[in-house]
Amino acid sequence: MDAPARVLVADDEEDIRHLVALAVGKAGCTVVAAVADGAQALTVARAERPDLLVLDVSMPEATGLEVCLALRADPATDDCRVLLLSAGASPDDVARGLATGADAYLPKPFTVAGLVRQIQLLTAEHPG
Amino acid sequence: MTAIADPVARSSGPAHRTGVAGLGAAAVGAAGVLVLVVRPALPLVLLAGSVVLLAVADLTWRLHRQQTAARVLEAQRLDLFSQRQTTADELEVATRMLRARAETMTSVIDAVTEQSIIGTDRDGLVRVWNPGAERMLGLPRADVVRTRSIIDFHAPEELDTEELDAEEPDAGGGTPFATLVRVAREQGSDVRDWTYLTADGRRLTVSVAITPRTDDDGEQTGWNFVGTDMTEVRATERLKDQFVSLISHELRTPLSSILGYLELVLDDPEQPLTGEQRQYLGTVERNAQRLLRLVGDLLFTAQVDAGRFTLQPAQVDLAGIVRSAEETARVTATARGVAMSVDVPDGGLVVSGDALRLGQACDNLVSNAVKFTPAGGRVALRLQTAWRNADGALVDVPTAGATPVALLSVSDTGVGIPNSEQGRLFTSFFRASTARRNAVPGVGLGLTITKAITTAHGGTLDVVSAEGRGTTFALALPLPA
Ligand SMILES: Nc1ncnc2c1ncn2[C@@H]1O[C@H](COP(=O)(O)OP(=O)(O)OP(=O)(O)O)[C@@H](O)[C@H]1O
Ligand SMILES: [Mg+2]
Repeated sequence: MDAPARVLVADDEEDIRHLVALAVGKAGCTVVAAVADGAQALTVARAERPDLLVLDVSMPEATGLEVCLALRADPATDDCRVLLLSAGASPDDVARGLATGADAYLPKPFTVAGLVRQIQLLTAEHPG
Repeated sequence: MTAIADPVARSSGPAHRTGVAGLGAAAVGAAGVLVLVVRPALPLVLLAGSVVLLAVADLTWRLHRQQTAARVLEAQRLDLFSQRQTTADELEVATRMLRARAETMTSVIDAVTEQSIIGTDRDGLVRVWNPGAERMLGLPRADVVRTRSIIDFHAPEELDTEELDAEEPDAGGGTPFATLVRVAREQGSDVRDWTYLTADGRRLTVSVAITPRTDDDGEQTGWNFVGTDMTEVRATERLKDQFVSLISHELRTPLSSILGYLELVLDDPEQPLTGEQRQYLGTVERNAQRLLRLVGDLLFTAQVDAGRFTLQPAQVDLAGIVRSAEETARVTATARGVAMSVDVPDGGLVVSGDALRLGQACDNLVSNAVKFTPAGGRVALRLQTAWRNADGALVDVPTAGATPVALLSVSDTGVGIPNSEQGRLFTSFFRASTARRNAVPGVGLGLTITKAITTAHGGTLDVVSAEGRGTTFALALPLPA
């Protein structure tokens, strides 16, 4: 049996962070850490090399988009999967999100079932 | 003498009109008569007398010729004088008219105090500066006309000349003024926002209409700039924009939590809810969804107002959209005791459009029909190919010049909309008296949004309604011919 995929969660809203962590569990993955800003997300990502990061777009310190760009620019982290969550649901927002190299974009409010499905999809062929 | 005088006298009438040429003909005629007079006077004794006679005749003739010439000249003088008089009269009338026109123009221009009206020559030197311009830019006419260029009042960074230099090096380009009038030069007119700099150093956002000014021969003599100060309007728009997106973000985030945790509770197989609990939480969820839809509608309306709403076009099967709108509304319809029917072509009906937005438009019409129809009523959704006549009317059978459309009609047997109120249906927040009287919930954004989506797809949205009997909305989208 594969070890469960390791997921980093970052969202400045505590309730949402908790909800995302629950969804990660429902998807059969483990939560490496759940952090509240972009700078922490980057630090933890570099130290822990998670399989997937679920990032809120608007966060203090560094936005989800900036974190994603920084991960992609660094060979040590450029193979992490990234799922962006955002309150911005316009096609422009989605395009801008995916342009940073993110693997998927889910507008808020998302359904828990939908989020679980996305996490499973993105961790399906994880190397672990 | 009378013989001599006669032809001239007769010719004097027309002579004044024929001028110099007429005068010459009269003289020749007179000389011919003289030769006839002289020839019989050949005997020598009469020679001296003849000479005298000849001299007299000659003198008479000359005198006569002079008189004739004088008469002709006098006639001409009179004629010229009357002509001059007429011309002078005409000129005076024309001058008076011109002055009146100029005065009207000036007084109109001077009466405009809220808009700046600036006229320049072809190079931007100011020639006209109305009180509106004085007020807006803080300089009196006398300080500006013939001494300043309109460029002096523009934010220089907006008149970057580089672009023009590269594009058309010899279109009189390369100057800031050429940049300013470029679009108006190319397209005949131009309206857009520019930043004006006032005498006391303020920056104003001004919507300026630029048009070329020509003289009577069509020769361009300069440019007109009519400006409206939009500084406050634009600031308010920006504020409204920021406010709407802040609010929608701030509302969406807690709604995400509410809906997410509700879902966890409702779908937890390990801790099933009692029927009552499920019902209460279902109500919570429905209302959270309603709030969410309201937030989305507000945000969307703001985007439409700001002209910032874009479509993601694709090939869309309207039949699928109609069916899923029916599915969405079915629960509510059943609960209210409203029967629904769907009639779509078997092979579907594909248009080019934004699936998400078209779905939203269709949902709005169907949810209205269900919402405004009391128990026992019917709601019918019908999708078909139809035709738009040359005069814009929708018909079932094509006529010459008609173009094909996909026609979605949503009919109900509900409360209807009074005739007098039908014209305002597509205005934001408008709700008909029949909706308010029956206390049907809603804010009046659905139709505004549906109309905006339809228009953006090049389609039309029409309504036929009779109060107390029912309503039909017809949404028509262009089909490829
Ligand atoms: N099928 C219908 N029958 C009767 N009246 C209607 C119907 N559809 C729309 N109207 C009238 O048009 C008004 C505007 O409709 P619209 O969908 O914009 O607003 P709403 O349904 O009241 O609120 P919202 O859609 O924003 O929740 C309604 O309030 C109602 O008065
Ligand atoms: Mg409505």
